[in-house]
Amino acid sequence: MTAISETSAQMALRDPDVRVMLRVRADEPGAFAELVGQYQHRLVAVMHHLIGDATEAEDLAQEAFLRVYRARKKYRPRSKFSTWLFTIANNLARNSLRSRQRKPVTPFVSSESGSMGPHEQMVKDNRSGPMQKVQRKELADLIQEALAALNERQRVAVVLNKFEDMNYAEIAEVMGLTTKGVKSLLSRARMNLRAALAGYVYMDGAPAPEEESERPV
Amino acid sequence: MTKPNPLNEREQADLVAFLDGELAGEAARALETKLSLDPAARAEAESLKRTWGLLDYLPKPEPSPSFTHRTLEKMAPIRTTAAMPLWRSLRRPWWIGAGWAAAILTAATAGYLGVGGDATDRHLTRDLRVIENKRFYDHVDDLDFLKSLDQPDLFEEDATGS
Repeated sequence: MTAISETSAQMALRDPDVRVMLRVRADEPGAFAELVGQYQHRLVAVMHHLIGDATEAEDLAQEAFLRVYRARKKYRPRSKFSTWLFTIANNLARNSLRSRQRKPVTPFVSSESGSMGPHEQMVKDNRSGPMQKVQRKELADLIQEALAALNERQRVAVVLNKFEDMNYAEIAEVMGLTTKGVKSLLSRARMNLRAALAGYVYMDGAPAPEEESERPV
Repeated sequence: MTKPNPLNEREQADLVAFLDGELAGEAARALETKLSLDPAARAEAESLKRTWGLLDYLPKPEPSPSFTHRTLEKMAPIRTTAAMPLWRSLRRPWWIGAGWAAAILTAATAGYLGVGGDATDRHLTRDLRVIENKRFYDHVDDLDFLKSLDQPDLFEEDATGS
């Protein structure tokens, strides 16, 4: 057990951001600003993907940084700094989403897609050749809707895996799950995404599996 | 029309893990074999990969230009509190604690006196001087010595009350 702790501590110390955080802990001037500068883009982006609202995403990212600062004296490098930061961020996002569930709020997608739901819209676009008609912005909206339609845990796992490039073990640590749980979560999330975006997967003109299987070998 | 999935749930999870580079050992080898032999499984892998690639179309949200400044500004009060000397940061809680202690003591004394009634009041009044000077009486060995101190010629000046 001790050996494992020592190993993870050594691994953590190899993380340059852990070293910056240790400087923050020592109240070294400028260290915290350095940390904010390094992580603000990533943290705001992740928060935005999870929450969907730019202003709220910034507020939550800011709160995450402040929590890091408040907790600096208790900081012990046990894993990568980003894992710790995104654990805090995930907790904040989760609380925010839960409090939002208590109040009826419109989903976090731009209104340009009109009044139709994503599924209805995709069905309509499928019929009229969506690959050519859907613009990049509209596609982004649809993808964002598909992401938003995932349940909270699936969305977190997807965002961390896709945009933070976290492996299953890191996601498990952030979300308080086992790696097996993350594997299952991501599998279901990707099935759901594929179902929601089925009409757009082969929009670049590449042959869909059906067409491919019809070809002579 | 949706085609039946060529993989069961476990194989599906293995496939996703395989695409994420998270599958190793025997499971990875078994899946590789399946993919090489089964076009439907290959198509499944391809569509999952492409769906994942669609997420790249999402715009990358950026923080506003004032984000760092605002964050550091919010941090300033925390820093000030943290830099405050220990005695200053403890001052308020100490007074609050002392206030509470005094209030509780007063309430307890009042309660005790209230229960004791007039007799207790009289005893306390009578013994007040003794209580006040108890620390001096502690040095007195016997009562005769104490009485001898009461002779006026010993403390003549004091006795005049000057």
